[in-house]
Amino acid sequence: MLWEKYKSTMKITVNEKCSSAYRKSDHMIQVKNLKKNYVIAKKEKGLGGAIKSLVKSEKQTIEAVKDISFQIAKGEIVAFLGPNGAGKSTTVKMMSGILTPTSGKIFINGKEPYQNRKEVVKDLGVVFGQRTQLNWDLRLGESFELLRHVYQIDKETYEQNLQVMDNILGISEIIDIPVRQLSLGQRMRGDLVAAMLHSPSVLFLDEPTIGLDVDGKYAIRKFIKEINRVKGTTVILTTHDLGDVQELCKRLIIINHGTIIEDGPLEELVERIAPYKDLVVEFYDEEAVEHPKAQLHKQKGNVAKYRFQKADITAAQLIQEISEKKSIKDVAIEEVTIDDIIRIAYHRE
Amino acid sequence: MCNGLAVNWRAFFYVYKTRIQKTLAYRFDVYGNIIWQCIVMFATAYFWKALYTGYDTVKGVQVEDMMTYTIVSSMMSLFFITFVEQRVIQSVEKGTVATDMLKPIPLFGIYFFEDLGYTTSLIVQNVIPIFIIGSIFIGVPVPHSTFMLLLFIPSVIMAYMINWLFAACFSTWAFTAINMNPMVQVKKHLIRLLSGCIIPMWFFPEWLSDILNVLPFVYIYQLPLDIYIGKYEMGILLQKMGIQALWLLVLWCLFVYLQKRVTKHVLVQGG
Amino acid sequence: MLQTMKHYSKVSLAHLRIAVLTVMEYPANMLGWLLSNPIQFILGFATIKFVVEEFGSVCGWGYGQLAFLYGISVISHALSMIFFVQGWFMGYYVIEGDFDRYLLRPMSVLYQFCFTKFNLVGITDLIPGICVFVYGCLQIDYVWTLKNTIYILVTLVGATFIRGGIYLIIGSSSFWTKSINDFGGYTQELFDKTTMYPISMYPESFQFVLTYLLPIGWVSFYPTAELLGIPNGRFAWDGAVWMTLVVGIIVFVAAAIIFKCSLKRYESAGN
Repeated sequence: MLWEKYKSTMKITVNEKCSSAYRKSDHMIQVKNLKKNYVIAKKEKGLGGAIKSLVKSEKQTIEAVKDISFQIAKGEIVAFLGPNGAGKSTTVKMMSGILTPTSGKIFINGKEPYQNRKEVVKDLGVVFGQRTQLNWDLRLGESFELLRHVYQIDKETYEQNLQVMDNILGISEIIDIPVRQLSLGQRMRGDLVAAMLHSPSVLFLDEPTIGLDVDGKYAIRKFIKEINRVKGTTVILTTHDLGDVQELCKRLIIINHGTIIEDGPLEELVERIAPYKDLVVEFYDEEAVEHPKAQLHKQKGNVAKYRFQKADITAAQLIQEISEKKSIKDVAIEEVTIDDIIRIAYHRE
Repeated sequence: MCNGLAVNWRAFFYVYKTRIQKTLAYRFDVYGNIIWQCIVMFATAYFWKALYTGYDTVKGVQVEDMMTYTIVSSMMSLFFITFVEQRVIQSVEKGTVATDMLKPIPLFGIYFFEDLGYTTSLIVQNVIPIFIIGSIFIGVPVPHSTFMLLLFIPSVIMAYMINWLFAACFSTWAFTAINMNPMVQVKKHLIRLLSGCIIPMWFFPEWLSDILNVLPFVYIYQLPLDIYIGKYEMGILLQKMGIQALWLLVLWCLFVYLQKRVTKHVLVQGG
Repeated sequence: MLQTMKHYSKVSLAHLRIAVLTVMEYPANMLGWLLSNPIQFILGFATIKFVVEEFGSVCGWGYGQLAFLYGISVISHALSMIFFVQGWFMGYYVIEGDFDRYLLRPMSVLYQFCFTKFNLVGITDLIPGICVFVYGCLQIDYVWTLKNTIYILVTLVGATFIRGGIYLIIGSSSFWTKSINDFGGYTQELFDKTTMYPISMYPESFQFVLTYLLPIGWVSFYPTAELLGIPNGRFAWDGAVWMTLVVGIIVFVAAAIIFKCSLKRYESAGN
């Protein structure tokens, strides 16, 4: 594989070329006005309802995905965020050809997955965090060997790919262990390798770090970063772990109630939702001072909490100006956590 | 468990009711099942009709009785379905058996009422439709006499209990054997073949039916069916019902013993 | 085309290897089935003997001929278990979202569903099938010419595809009902009733259904009747052996079309 060479010699230039040249023109993934409805039978309550539904049942349409459009460039890492049942997984499943959209268009590399399924999935790697594609009863290597046949990877490429991924994930230590005996973290590493064996240009990850310990998460994130950097793989992941987002993604798409409510870089979102910081000041007595550019947000005993807009004043200036008025014992600056920001984004209409 | 039954009555009733609701929830299954069961019942009925061409009575049984036998045994095999084995196997395999057993309600009690709930919904959904369809197309399965019908009901209830207890005792095997599924299949087929469900006992060679009369299987299908079509005289039937009751008692004791042993086993080894 | 076939057969072989390895990983599992499945069929065959002894013959079929028929039926059952048993459990695949993986791989979903999961347990059904078949051949002095051998093989291939196709069609209904309709038990019962006995014993309307609508008659009855030269009812065709293969292909193609249409309704699982 070519990228093997790139990795050692010209990785920086290649990488920069990828990100700058493709970002503007070539869209790896295009989604236009995507909709998905489910029809479910309405269940009535109680024994009487159950008998009634034997004869006649009412249908109910649920709009899982209402109207979603976005574009993803080659080499991007994008996180899909959203509360449970928001439509993230449905969107990912439509993009990977598992579900047929009710209406709207999807193009992966210019092809529509629900019409050219076989063509599209050849270039797709998919990992479901809660479900493995590995053979539970046999040693890990058997599952890889099987995929080699399914994706028609020639022996040489296969060995090479495995070698590269071994360097990042240390897969050779566990390749001879039956999958059922692997820890969750090890199994996840196996699943990632399985999804990347055929060197797809797009990788979908559905909650890849769910239930993993710190080491496990670290390994997975490192792998995603490496594979993206070296191979230019486009990565789309759904997650509830904001650590994933902070570590990996420049871009964030938040989905709620089947529509996109945010799409952009994380910092931008932070700026927009929380353009302020809090300054916690401890005085020597219970009397706090006022300041024109900061609002006294909370006060408890000797401790006062000021909220100030980042655009209005810097923290250093504020501390200085307050300390000029009254002597200060201790200060601390509090930023709004990412968790809070996402929660605010979810609940905002 | 008798004591527990009084205490847990509310919980058991709840389990029973929920199970009925769950079963009624899928109407396509219901229609599909009825169609399949009718096809199988018709096939069995015609099988006997074809065999009887040229014969009036075989082993003292007329073709009309054979038709009654077919319909009633189809109905019985419908509601003699138990899930207790599956549930125990699953809870052992998943390793939830220890926590399940620590619940304040007896585990086997829950399984029994679930099965009872399933049976109840099957009576509404399948047994009655099968009875109606069988009556129209094959012939109304008339019991031998009203008194026999009165005798048939307690016999069927005892048969249901024997079948369930047998399954429950059998399920405790799951704690030792690695894979129970083949055993469950063997048991299912043994019961179907050796209980008179498919082929009545009187076609079996004498030495075999003598052996089978000592085993509990024939008291699941054959005896209630014998009563329904009035195969034997009252005295013999009552005597057989006595053996049936005895088997019920034996299986009950075995069940209580095995349940105790299993509980001990689980609490010591943690499942 | 040739390239694709080469690819697909390589993948199948790789999966066959996996299936063998899995069996070797759990030998006790296989051992259990090795005991249970032969018991079931041999016992079933024995009970037929009791009935035949009582009635002499079944629609002109002697015991040896019935054994031949039973053998063909069980062998084709075993083969269908090896390749197509998943059809029985398609409801579970639909509800649990197991088609996700098949859809994510660059191969036909139907191919993956049928030929990447080999249920080697089916071999344990093959043993009693062959035993009874050999017994039947000996009883009726079947002549093993090359032509006869080819006829038997063609019949078995056709019969396996008829069974597989019907399993697939029944399983596909799960895509529409969105429930686990586990019709496996009934399907087997129906097939047992219609392939282990001559269908000429059933009324003509039922024979018509089994010939044209639900072509189970072709699984064992028509080809065996022709091979043994026994009268085979009103709807029989000449060249029944080859017809079995043709019907098998037709049923399987129909099943493939129905499966493909049904797959469009697939909704994956949960969330």
